[in-house]
Amino acid sequence: MDYEEAKNLVVEGLTKKQKSKSKFYFNDLAKLIGEKPRAAKKYVNQMVTEGILEYWSSGSTSMYGLPGTGKQAAAEHED
Amino acid sequence: MAKHETPMLDELVSGPWPSFVDDLKQLAAHRAKNEDNIEYQIPVDVVEDLLGILELSFKHGRTHWKHGGIVGVFGYGGGVIGRYCDQPQNFSGVAHFHTMRVAQPGGKFYKTDYLKQLCDLWDLRGSGVTNMHGSTGDIIFLGTTTPQLEEIFYELTHNINQDLGGSGSNLRTPADCIGQARCEYACYDTQDLCYDLTQEYQDELHRPAFPYKFKFKFDGCPNGCVASIARSDLSFIGTWKDDIKIDQEAVAAYIGGEFPPNAGAHSGRDWGAFDIQKEVIDNCPTECMWMDGKQLKIDDRECNRCMHCINVMPRALRIGDERGLSILAGAKAPILDGAQMGTLIVPFIEAVAPYTKIKEEVIEPIWDWWMEEGKNRERLGELMKRQGLQRVIEVLGVDPDPRMVQEPRSNPYVFWKEDEVEGGWERDINEFRKHHQR
Amino acid sequence: MAFISSGYNPDKPMENRISDIGPRKYDEFYPPVIAKNKGKWLYHEYLKPGVIVHVAESGDEVFTVRVGGARLMSTLLIREICEIADKHCDGYCRWTTRNNVEFMVDSKDKVDPLVKDLEGRKFPGGSFKFPVGGTGSGITNIVHTQGWLHCHTPATDASGPVKAVMDELFADFQDHRMPAHLRVSLACCLNMCGAVHCSDIAILGYHRKPPMLDHEYLDKMCEIPLAISACPTAAIRPAKVEFGDKKVNSVAVKNERCMFCGNCYTMCPSMPLADTEGDGIVIMAGGKVSNRISAPKFSKVVVAFIPNEAPRWPTTAKTIKSMVEAYAKDARKYERLGDWAERIGWERFFEKCELDFTHHLIDDFRDPAYYTWRQSTQFKF
Repeated sequence: MDYEEAKNLVVEGLTKKQKSKSKFYFNDLAKLIGEKPRAAKKYVNQMVTEGILEYWSSGSTSMYGLPGTGKQAAAEHED
Repeated sequence: MAKHETPMLDELVSGPWPSFVDDLKQLAAHRAKNEDNIEYQIPVDVVEDLLGILELSFKHGRTHWKHGGIVGVFGYGGGVIGRYCDQPQNFSGVAHFHTMRVAQPGGKFYKTDYLKQLCDLWDLRGSGVTNMHGSTGDIIFLGTTTPQLEEIFYELTHNINQDLGGSGSNLRTPADCIGQARCEYACYDTQDLCYDLTQEYQDELHRPAFPYKFKFKFDGCPNGCVASIARSDLSFIGTWKDDIKIDQEAVAAYIGGEFPPNAGAHSGRDWGAFDIQKEVIDNCPTECMWMDGKQLKIDDRECNRCMHCINVMPRALRIGDERGLSILAGAKAPILDGAQMGTLIVPFIEAVAPYTKIKEEVIEPIWDWWMEEGKNRERLGELMKRQGLQRVIEVLGVDPDPRMVQEPRSNPYVFWKEDEVEGGWERDINEFRKHHQR
Repeated sequence: MAFISSGYNPDKPMENRISDIGPRKYDEFYPPVIAKNKGKWLYHEYLKPGVIVHVAESGDEVFTVRVGGARLMSTLLIREICEIADKHCDGYCRWTTRNNVEFMVDSKDKVDPLVKDLEGRKFPGGSFKFPVGGTGSGITNIVHTQGWLHCHTPATDASGPVKAVMDELFADFQDHRMPAHLRVSLACCLNMCGAVHCSDIAILGYHRKPPMLDHEYLDKMCEIPLAISACPTAAIRPAKVEFGDKKVNSVAVKNERCMFCGNCYTMCPSMPLADTEGDGIVIMAGGKVSNRISAPKFSKVVVAFIPNEAPRWPTTAKTIKSMVEAYAKDARKYERLGDWAERIGWERFFEKCELDFTHHLIDDFRDPAYYTWRQSTQFKF
């Protein structure tokens, strides 16, 4: 799989679920990409660097989302 | 003149133990005066407001902080914890009050010029309040605003040659005991292994791809001064395989009262004359020591290296020379299914740079397994419980070892696999019926 | 205030970016005597509480003076530590795992002036800035978490109770009269971002009320699926709630399943659980991490709840003090608090520590509970 393909799968998958939630665990992304976690990580890292994904953290756990999506951003005055 | 009255906090300035309230008050006054003409990049009254909001919590018996999901600097998924005050109108100085985790050096040794650089940076761009150190081990910068995060990171990396630590579903900043730097018990170089793995796994530390947090901690010996066995997913504890080295003259000196037992740790009370039988030999958990005339004898094969005799007589007994470490996996705090202590998965492995075996035969197989099969927010120890120690042995590709268990199972419910049973599970019912009627 | 740029360009975050460099390397900060003798130390001895000598094969000695510190520390105080280290220790110092600070000198004649300097420095309210102690069979510094000073889910403060308890135990910070060393730790909620579950004495913040539900705002501020999945006991479910004249999307909490962890509040600010009367302190005892004599063991809950008594938590401090005294009086030399409790029996522990045994102290959480009940006739009257 190439990066563009992985990117499309992730963006499409996340956009589809926006109605119910905006934040996803790493394993959700790995499943969308359909690769083992270590291989998926390379694509995910690049998507973060390109601003296609952004992190969200509970302090103990990290999640990923499409930038600016979700309700927390407003609630946390980070928009 | 303080900005907020703090009558309850003021009750914590008395008493002998260092008062954090006095420390914060002095910092608040120092910032207000600003004799060094610092162009403070976050509100000058941040510490006043911190004291004010803490006083309010003392009054209410409730916290006034809210969590924020901000994670770090660009490209990093950890190192920053977002924090906002729930009374921003009255305490505007702490409206944004984020934490930054700065990776600490091994053994927490410092040179003052480095510490002063950190202080200068944190006075300019943050509250000037720190934790030395956080529970995991990082230097904690406590309280700054969102726009300062990148500026601080830029200065840390460009001017101080210093990186952030871990948070979230990352490898957390590894931590070590003082080790060989100043301890005669250390069975391997904790600081070197800690540093080596920290550098090797920078990507795992900054970019979260684990199901949950993951901690490495390094104890030089079974005394466990950094508590790795209780709080790290992989706990590296120094040990040795050969004989404890005995200096019989020094043993005699302990018996004769020339050297204080336990390195003088019991000097606050008269425990009577040192009694080697009672204090050392009878306390040995494996009963592998005895006196042969004036000579102390140890049946080293039976020793489980608990460290007691060495701790009591450090001048007479020394750790052996065939050194390495044991690896225990899966410790965690109680939530959810109860606390777990690390389970022994590698009884002995050599710890010599570049530590290839530790990385390739232990850490990476464990990570691959946990990343693939761990559920969201499942610590390694919980996965081990769910899938069993047998699975860990399979993942590591090692032989089962009675050292890995306290005792064998007391139920006989062995879930035999088909390939373990002679002839397999497929049988011919008609063949059976030839000898057994319906 | 005028904004001062570090050189970072927000429009091009990757420009000149340095990342993944890790911490500074340990050996950059070794004092010369440490660098020279690393791995070649022969033995150590506590010369008095807070002062340790380590002797190397080379004959070199390093004298360490250990002082207690609040882990919450201002840059002013760190600068003062630097000033002391510059004056006495050629610009080197270190911190211990338990938030103590260590000053090292390479000859004995430098010890007394250093100790005198440290002991002479006090805060305006009279507390020591750098109390010497924390070694051997005494009570060293309390490791702790953030509490009300910074955390969003604490059930108690951290720095406040630690100050109050350390004031109570201060004499033993500077003494070696305990049967073995005694470690006290504090975590301000059950998530234990600082693990306390293997301490001789653990102070644990605990909530006792499930979260409140801010129905009016919940669906606006939170993503309901995230709040639901944050719950470790699956106590939260989605619910439509009547609010005013309309139905809003919200959640319902099965209160009897709530273990008061606050994870839902982390994901959803409309589910706060902090409460003045509900929150307080649990005391646990008898844990250890060392493998010495007996295996490492968990701390056990010995007091189910003490209310938060800001600002000085007198009941918590007094309860701990009385446990410490009972242990000091009764335990054998080298016996840790947990080993002592096991030898005399927990029934005797409660008697000697004058603690009430309540039903809350009997484990009823999942499988391991059974293994803590007594399945024998070996008990004491």
